Amino acid sequence: MATFQIHYFSIASSYINKNTEALPAPLPLNRLFDTLESRYPGIREKVLQSCGVSVGDEYVDVDEADGNKEGEGRVIQAGDEVAIIPPVSSG
Amino acid sequence: MSDSTPQHQDQLPAHLNPKNYPQTRTHPSLNIHLTLTYTPLNPQTHINTISSPSAGANLLFLGTTRDTFDNRPVTTLSYTTYPILAFKTLMDIAENAVKEHGLLGVSIAHRLGEVPVGECSIVVGVSAGHRGGAFRGGEEVLEQCKERVEVWKREVFGDGGSEWRANGERDRDGNLR
Repeated sequence: MATFQIHYFSIASSYINKNTEALPAPLPLNRLFDTLESRYPGIREKVLQSCGVSVGDEYVDVDEADGNKEGEGRVIQAGDEVAIIPPVSSG
Repeated sequence: MSDSTPQHQDQLPAHLNPKNYPQTRTHPSLNIHLTLTYTPLNPQTHINTISSPSAGANLLFLGTTRDTFDNRPVTTLSYTTYPILAFKTLMDIAENAVKEHGLLGVSIAHRLGEVPVGECSIVVGVSAGHRGGAFRGGEEVLEQCKERVEVWKREVFGDGGSEWRANGERDRDGNLR
């Protein structure tokens, strides 16, 4: 099965008790939070709404991914590395 | 937010494995040196790296771990990072500081994993021709790091609870925003 890897940090990793997992690919970016919500009920409101999302080394806008009316929003591909990025606390 | 440490260590990704550190990035022509490491930080190393005959002002900031949060005793602190993003952000911060404040060198090092109370978690070193640029540039680098770098701190309290921290909740004086 084709998959992408998704990494979780801070409050996201604690909420689901995982640091990383593989999810089925391809997945439209605008379906990512729905997919996570269905796997981990409550995560959208308690965690995801305060988080950024990266694909590779770039931040992506999950909300704008469905802005394309032609339905050609960004799609997470097999082999992509995705991360959920909560508010940071370095230093 | 209370929580527990993720238990599924059998799937420890590479970026969370201390064996894959220290990691460094450099920008030789701008004299920028970045480090993420699980071992204790040596501040002298990071100022030596950037000092030069043309730099008359060398500033070193050490952030050390504190033993309380809101008067609750903190027994343990630990940090994790996502280096693919953290290094990109650190380099952006350092490059901007060089351009805006005329810095002749920037060194930023962050420690990961468990950091005993009182030890260094972050070292910022900057060098400039004169003290004005060094002070302004050094402060800017630190504030930007606090705001942007993809590192997360978890505090474990003496009463057994633990919390992930978020820098955005506090200003530079430690007051709630």
